[in-house]
Amino acid sequence: MILLRLITWPYVRKHLLRSVLTTAGIVLGVALLVGMQTANRSVLGAFNQTVEKIAGKAQLQVSAGEAGFGEEVLESVQGLAEVRAAAPVIESEADPGLPGQGKLLILAVDMTGDRSLRDYEFDQGEQDVMDDPLVFLAQPDSIILTREFADRNHIVSGGKITFDTMQGRKQFTVRGILKAGGMAQAFGGNLGIMDIYAAQSVFGRGRHFDRIDIGLREGVTLEQGEAALRTLLGPGFTVEPPSGRGRQFESLLGVYTLAMTVSSMFALFIGMFIIYNSFAIAVTQRRGEIGILRALGATRGQIRTLFLGESAVAGLIGSAAGALLGLLFARTLTGVSANMLESMFGVPQNVQEVVVDRGFLLVAIALGTGTSMLAALIPARSAASVEPIQALQKGRYQVLGAGENRLRRNIALAAALLSLGCLALSANRLFFFAGFLLTLLAALLLTPFLAHELARFLRLPLKWLRPVEGALAADSLIQAPRRTSATVAALMLSLALVIGQGGVARASLQSIEEWMTATLNPDMFISTTENIASHGARFPPTMQLELENVPGVAEVQAVRMPRMQFQGYPVMLVSIPMESVARRVKRHITAGDEQTMNRLAAQEQGVILSENLAALVKLKVGDMVELPTTTGMLRRPVVGIIRDLSNQMGAIFIERSLYVKSFKDDTVDVFRVYIKPGASAEQVRTRIVDSMGSGRRMFVMLNRDVRAYVSRVMDQWFGLTYVQVIVAMLVAILGIVNTLTVSISDRRRELGVLRAVGGLRGQIRRTVWLEAAAIGIIGLVLGLLTGAVLLYFELQAIQHDISGMPFAYEFPWGIAAALVPVILLAALGAAILPAESAVRGSLVEALEYE
Amino acid sequence: MNRTVLILTAIAAPLVAQDARQIVEESQRRGRANSQRYEGVLEVTGADSKVTRKSWQSWRLGSYGNSKAVIRFTAPAEVKGVALLVVNHSDRSSDQWMWTPAISRDRRIALQDRSTRFFGTDFSFEDMEERDAEQYDYKLTGEEAIAGAACWKIEARPRQTKTSQYSLSRIWIRKDNYVPAQYENFIKDQPVRRLEQKDIQNIQGIWTARTLEMTDLRRKSRTVLRLEKLEYNVPLKDEEFTVQALRRDQ
Repeated sequence: MILLRLITWPYVRKHLLRSVLTTAGIVLGVALLVGMQTANRSVLGAFNQTVEKIAGKAQLQVSAGEAGFGEEVLESVQGLAEVRAAAPVIESEADPGLPGQGKLLILAVDMTGDRSLRDYEFDQGEQDVMDDPLVFLAQPDSIILTREFADRNHIVSGGKITFDTMQGRKQFTVRGILKAGGMAQAFGGNLGIMDIYAAQSVFGRGRHFDRIDIGLREGVTLEQGEAALRTLLGPGFTVEPPSGRGRQFESLLGVYTLAMTVSSMFALFIGMFIIYNSFAIAVTQRRGEIGILRALGATRGQIRTLFLGESAVAGLIGSAAGALLGLLFARTLTGVSANMLESMFGVPQNVQEVVVDRGFLLVAIALGTGTSMLAALIPARSAASVEPIQALQKGRYQVLGAGENRLRRNIALAAALLSLGCLALSANRLFFFAGFLLTLLAALLLTPFLAHELARFLRLPLKWLRPVEGALAADSLIQAPRRTSATVAALMLSLALVIGQGGVARASLQSIEEWMTATLNPDMFISTTENIASHGARFPPTMQLELENVPGVAEVQAVRMPRMQFQGYPVMLVSIPMESVARRVKRHITAGDEQTMNRLAAQEQGVILSENLAALVKLKVGDMVELPTTTGMLRRPVVGIIRDLSNQMGAIFIERSLYVKSFKDDTVDVFRVYIKPGASAEQVRTRIVDSMGSGRRMFVMLNRDVRAYVSRVMDQWFGLTYVQVIVAMLVAILGIVNTLTVSISDRRRELGVLRAVGGLRGQIRRTVWLEAAAIGIIGLVLGLLTGAVLLYFELQAIQHDISGMPFAYEFPWGIAAALVPVILLAALGAAILPAESAVRGSLVEALEYE
Repeated sequence: MNRTVLILTAIAAPLVAQDARQIVEESQRRGRANSQRYEGVLEVTGADSKVTRKSWQSWRLGSYGNSKAVIRFTAPAEVKGVALLVVNHSDRSSDQWMWTPAISRDRRIALQDRSTRFFGTDFSFEDMEERDAEQYDYKLTGEEAIAGAACWKIEARPRQTKTSQYSLSRIWIRKDNYVPAQYENFIKDQPVRRLEQKDIQNIQGIWTARTLEMTDLRRKSRTVLRLEKLEYNVPLKDEEFTVQALRRDQ
C-alpha cells in the first residue's frame, strides 16, 4: 500500500492521460459486457415477471407449444383426482394504437372459475366485476385494464378502448380496473383481461386454449401432479411449473445470448491487450525506479506485487466505471433488444425497467479486475526480474532477444500444428474448440515476430514516401517491438472480430437472399399481424375460399407454423399444402429425391426437415421423426432435407391436412397468395382489403414488403453485434493512442535532438503520423489474416454447435476493403494528440530528458 | 350403570339418525313434482346497501337427485339470454353449463369453481344444485321454532362421495308441512351462509316457499329470490335440457 502511494501514484499523476486511456480499455470492455448482458437479462426478467404475475397460484401449466389444444382437454384435466383447480388461458397481444403506449398483453381467462388460481384486486367500488361477472361474460366487448395503463391513458371504468380483432376493428368496454401491484404489474402494466371464450373469436383461436393453469390438491406434490398429468395427456403436452415458460423463452434466445456474450468477452479480451501493453511499457519506463527499489532492498515479490496491485486498482476503477457506463448502455439496448426479439420470435415484449443484477455486476467487476491483473502478470514478472544494473541501460528492454523470439515462434508453431491436429478430429467438438483456442494462441504468439517483420518490410515504402520521417517511423517500430506488439495484437483481434462478424452477417444475408428468392415467391402474404413471426391471432380456414374468389387470385396456400420443442430445440413446425408448394417453389434439396420427397410428404407419408435442424439433431433421409402432438405421438420418416431459413433453430415441414388431424388445429397463420398472370399485385391487394379487410384484422403484404421486413429484422440482429464491433475497434484505437503517447514519451530526447539539428515540426508530426499509419497497416494485415481464420471457426461453430445453418465460406472482401481507409484514418486520428505533444514540448527539456 | 348407558346410547343413536333421514326424505317427497316453472326476481343487497336486481325464468324437469334445470336471465338487458343448465346426478355432483348468446358459446362450469358466487348473488353455484338425501348423513339434534313455526333441527354432513364446499349444514324443517324453513351452511365449523325460506304457500298441492332469502354471513350481504308465476307439473321434455337446447332456444 505504501509502495502504491509513494511509487505508483506520482507515476499515474505524471502520465494521467495514458493511465486514463489504459483504464478506458477495461471501461469499454466491461461496459459492453454489462450493457449487453443487462439488456438481455432485462428482457428475460420482464418476460419472467409477466409469467410469474399472471401465473398467480398456479403450480403447474399444461401447454402444447404454440399449436394449443382443444377445449375437451380441460375437462379431462379437471377430472383428475390430483387437480384442485384447472383454469384455461389464452394469451395474445393487441395494439390499441395509443401513441407511445405499445401493445397490450391480453390474458383471456374463464372468469367463473379463475379466481381459484388468480387474485384479482380491484379498486374500491370495482369489485363487482369479479363478484358478478355476468355482464363481463355476457358482453364479449368486456375488458379489464390495470390502474397504471388506465391512468396513463385517462381511461375510466365504463370507458372504451379500441383494437384490431379477427372481426375487424372493435371497441371494447372497460368493465373493471385492477389495482396497482400484483398481477397488474405484468407486461409493464400493459395488461388487458378478457373472457376466454370471447378471446377465442376475437383472436381467431377456434375452440382452442393456449394452456391450462393448474392448482394441485393439498398433499399432492409437484412431481406427483406432473406425473399424473403426463400420463393423462400423453407426449404432445408439456407439463411444467410456470418458471418453465421462462426457460423456454431463454432457449429461444439461446443463439442471441450466445452471440452477445461471445462478442462482449471478445471486447474484454481486446481490453486485456491494452492493459498488457500499458504495463509492459510502464515496466520499461520505470526500470530505473525499479532498479533503485531493488537496490534499496525491495524483493522481487514486492515489485511483482506492486505492479499487480497497480493493475488491480486500475482494473477495479475501470471495471466499476465500466459497470456504470454499461447500465447506461443497457437503457438504450433494452428497448432495441426487445423490439428485435419481438420481430424475430413474435414474443411480445414490454420492458419497462432495466433489471440490475448486483451479483452479475460484481462478477463483471471481478472479471474486469481479473482481466487487468492477468494482463499485467507478464509485465509484473518482467519487472520483478529487473536487476539494478540493467536499469541504467536504456532501450535494452524494448528489444526482443533472439532467444525469446525463437521460443515464441516454436511455441506458436507447435500450437498451430496441434490446432491442425485438433481440426482433423473436429467431429468431437471439444477438439474443435481446442483447435480454435490453439489457433488464437499461435496468432498471438506470432504477433511480435510478424509485427517486427512487417515493420521491416514497411521501412522501404515508408522511406520512399518520406525519406526521413518514413525511416524514423519504421525504425521506431523495429527497435521497440514490445511497445508495439500488444497494440498490434489488440488491433488485430478487433479487426478479426470485424471480419468474423461481418463475414457471418454477409454469409447469412446472402443465404437469406437466396432462400427468399427461391421460397418466398408468392405475390403477397396475408398475416394477422404486421409482424409475421407473431402467431397470437389466427385466421379461420374458411378464409382461403374467400381469398380464392377474389378476382385476380390464382392460388392460395394456407400456412400454420407454430413453434414447438423438438429434441430440446425450439423448432418451427411448418404445415403447408405440400403439393401446391412443390409446384410453386423450387426448393434447394440437400438430401433426398425431389419427386419422392414431394409425393410422400403430400401423401402424409413423411416429413421434410430443414438442413440446419437435420444437422443439429443428426437425422438423415429415412430416419424416423417422432413428433409429440396433442393426439399422441406422430411418427413419420424424413423424406427429404431442404435448405430453409424460416427459423433460427430449424423447421419441420408437414402436410397441412396431417397437421390439422394430428393437432386438431385448422387455423391459419399466413396465407401465401399467387396472382394470375397479367394481374396487378397492387390491384389484387386493394380488392382483398376492400372485400375482406373491414371484417377482420389482416395485413396484406406484397412480396417486396415481406422481403423488406426480413431484411429489417436481419439488420436489427446484426446491428447489435456491430455495436460490439465498434466498441472493440474503439478499444483498439485507444491502444494506438496509448502506444504513440508512450512512443513520443520514450523518444522525447531523440525527437529533441532531431529538432535541434534542424528537424522541422512538420517532419516530427509526419514521423508520428507515419508510425501510426504503420501500426494501422500491420494491424490490418494481421487482423485480416486472423479474421479469415476466425470466420472459418465461426461458420463451423454456427453449423455444428449453434443453429446448424451451413453458410458458405466467403471472405468479406468488401468489408476488408472498407476497413483499410477506416483504420488508416483512425490511426492517423489517434496520432493527432501524440504528434502535437511531440512538437509542442520544450526543446531544452527534451534534450535534458533522462 | 355406565355400561347400560353406553348400550342404550349405541342403540338409540342410529334410531335418531334414521328419524332425521326420514324427515328429510319425507320433506323431499312432499316437494316432489315432475316439473316446475317459475319467474324469479332477484334482489341483491350488498354490505354497502347497494341494491342490484336481476330476473330469470326457470324450468325444472324430474325429481330430487336426477332433475335437470335451466335458468335463463331476462333482465337486465345486457345479460338477457344468458342461460345456465344444471344436470343433477344422484351419485355425484351436478354438471353445469353456461350459455352466452352474444358469442354463441357454451362453457362448462367446473366442479372446483362451484364455491364461487352465482353471478353476484349470495348463492354459490353449489347452492343452485339440489341436495340429494343419499349424499348426506343426517342427525336430528333437536327442535326449534323458526318464525313461530315448530321445526326439527337436523344436521347434514356430506358423504365422502359428495364434493361440497360445506362441511356441515343445519336444516330446520317445519313440522306442520315438512317445508325446510331455514338452512345454515358451515365451512370448517364457521357459519358462512344462511338460507331462509319464507312466504310458504300451497301451489297445486305442494307446499312451497315463494321467497328465498340467502345471507352471506361473511360478506354481510343478502339476496332475496322471489318465485313468481310458479307452476308445477308443466309439460316439459328431456331434450329441452341439453346444451344444444340452450343454443337453440336463445
